Amino acid sequence: MSGTVGIKVEEHFHSAEQQRETARLGMWTFLLTELLLFSGLFITALVIRVQHPTSVTAVALHLKFWIGATNTAVLILSSFSMSVAIELSRLGRQRLMLRFMLLTAALGAVFMMLKGYEYYRDYVEHMMPFLPYRSYELAADPASRLFTNLYFITTGLHAIHLTIGIGIMLVMAWLASRTGFLQQHQNRIEITGLYWHFIDLVWMVVFPTLYLLNR
Amino acid sequence: MSPSDTTLRDLHVPTPVIDPPDDYLHVEQTLSSWIFTTDHKRIGLLYLVSITVFFLLGSIAAGLIRLSLIVPDGEIFSNDIYNRLFTLHGVIMVWFFLVPSIPNTLGNFLLPLMIGAKDVAFPKLNLLSWYVFVLGSLFTMFVMIWGGVDTGWTFYTPLSTEYADSYVIAAVLGVIVVGFSSILTGLNFMVTVHKLRAPGMTWFRMPLFVWSLYATSMILVLATPVLTIALILLFAERALGLAVFDPANGGDPVLFQHLFWFYSHPVVYVMVLPGMGVMSELITAFSCKRVFGYKFIAFSSLGIAAIGFFVWGHHMFYNGMSPYAGLTFSLMSFIVAVPSAIKVYNWAATIHKGAIRLDTPMLYAMSWIGLFVIGGVTGLMLASTALDGHVHDTYFVVAHFHYIMVGATVVAFLGGIHFWWPKITGRLYSEPWGRISAFLMFFGFNMTFFPQYLLGYMGMPRRYHVYPPSYQVLNVLSSAGATMLAVAYIFPMIYLIWSLWYGERAGDNPWEAKGLEWTTTSPPPKHNFHHMPVVDFEPYDYPNIAPEK
Repeated sequence: MSGTVGIKVEEHFHSAEQQRETARLGMWTFLLTELLLFSGLFITALVIRVQHPTSVTAVALHLKFWIGATNTAVLILSSFSMSVAIELSRLGRQRLMLRFMLLTAALGAVFMMLKGYEYYRDYVEHMMPFLPYRSYELAADPASRLFTNLYFITTGLHAIHLTIGIGIMLVMAWLASRTGFLQQHQNRIEITGLYWHFIDLVWMVVFPTLYLLNR
Repeated sequence: MSPSDTTLRDLHVPTPVIDPPDDYLHVEQTLSSWIFTTDHKRIGLLYLVSITVFFLLGSIAAGLIRLSLIVPDGEIFSNDIYNRLFTLHGVIMVWFFLVPSIPNTLGNFLLPLMIGAKDVAFPKLNLLSWYVFVLGSLFTMFVMIWGGVDTGWTFYTPLSTEYADSYVIAAVLGVIVVGFSSILTGLNFMVTVHKLRAPGMTWFRMPLFVWSLYATSMILVLATPVLTIALILLFAERALGLAVFDPANGGDPVLFQHLFWFYSHPVVYVMVLPGMGVMSELITAFSCKRVFGYKFIAFSSLGIAAIGFFVWGHHMFYNGMSPYAGLTFSLMSFIVAVPSAIKVYNWAATIHKGAIRLDTPMLYAMSWIGLFVIGGVTGLMLASTALDGHVHDTYFVVAHFHYIMVGATVVAFLGGIHFWWPKITGRLYSEPWGRISAFLMFFGFNMTFFPQYLLGYMGMPRRYHVYPPSYQVLNVLSSAGATMLAVAYIFPMIYLIWSLWYGERAGDNPWEAKGLEWTTTSPPPKHNFHHMPVVDFEPYDYPNIAPEK
């Protein structure tokens, strides 16, 4: 199936091109705010690392490096599949695009499952210092709590973003299951793709900042 | 239609309208047409009503603070209630009034009109931002009035995470939510300026108010997320036990202050820059003269926004900072004063040999310059590390930032409301009452806050309500000034609301001002212009001759 690709021009725009550019700039601006949101966490990680280098290393050695690395690969694959979906949307191949969007969402879900397993391992290995009823593995090193806590906050915030991303992807896929979607709303796929790539990119910074830099 | 209307009507309007089409206020009049509107003008009015309510609440808290300070022994309120009062005052005034004040009311209303657009880039997002704002701020208000928060608006750790025995978690959540509304507005404005300008509206034909809104939006977009993350970390520490700043475990509370002020200093410019934009419009219109140094004013807005990101440390000179960092932040704070000074000089040069009309908006503009200069110069005093050591955390600081936030932002806000009131409502207010209120504002404001400079210099610390009796005279003077200030706020509320029903019809351009917003009808139609505007004129092409009254 193929057909003309386009967008429905809203009342306050002059042309489809103007609407397209406006949406894209809006999303980029939003992603800029997201970047600053996460950079607050990165700078905090850096400060803790400078102030307590040995404690941070002790925590980093307890992080599940291979789960993190696998998840990095999973997200790169999901970004690739999203890129394919975007390219297909430009070509007007709606059904095939739909499949790649579902694949993207599925890869996101794989990430979340691996992440969940990682949290479970953290629980088993007594690496959850914020649980009052459970002993903490590195209790002798109080400063290590800071970095462990930051690890949970950062990965948690990223997981929230990814969950939202999977939700958006599924809603978009549901909308795109109707015929004629790409004739009216091709733009939405591009915008969704920008957000998805951004979540992946943030992980590309989270992973080295938490797992790699301090080993 | 009265005959005076016809004479005032701008000749630019293409067709003589005998039976005027419905303007944005009358096109639909159901409740749902207001609360589900995507019209930027109506959203601006929704914001105007909501922030006025918050302003009243914040002012009541301020009034109670001043009441408490009349007596030196702090007998009127307990310490706990006093702490809750100044926190309430700070949180409401900063986040629920000052930050959204000019951008979300006048900015929302005027930005598309000024650049010849039908609406902002994302009208639904604009409405969403109002809902987010109202829900977040009402929730915070509820928490702070029924429960109370006693940390001050700054939420410093470990006071806020360990020691404060009040409703910090809920209040912080509310402030985070309101932050999203700022982000959405900033994003919307930035994209609107980039993508929705009318044909011929080049960057250097934009009114200076639009330039200042653009700079403001940049700050909102770049700084607000950092506040969000700082408060998320605070929330995680207090609510979930995920401590990151906890000094008991070697955490660094000063890190929280850094993150907090990385937002909260630039946000001072979110409050001031739109006020400066309003000033550029008022001064040119009432001097009837082309603005002096258009590009300098435009770029100084961006300069303030950019440099404003590198001065946050001057709030923390004495909170554990290396002397080298202090030196750098001090230097940057001096540098950020340069673009502000450029603006003031340019306005002075614009007024010089202009055909000046001293109507109400111009009176506000004149008092703005005076108050801003006092606030700015004392800001330089505070930016020098040595002097800051003497007056740090005293009433000197309180007076300084009130000169900037009230003396600059609120005065510009009132001046702007008076200037564009005929455009917003189609009605004229009572000019004599307007002038009386502008004078009352100027004198009441100075009487309230100038004594606080003296108190601070003499050593009275902020946030205490027990003080040595020798400070009482100045405190009573300040409280008396606050009463006058209250009258200066209440008058406009009365005569502006009165004018909605009984005011004379304004005509399209009662001030003979330039700019696209004055070429359309008052109030404007739903889509702002009857015909798509094409801009073939330079900004502020005033004749330098006062129009005949």
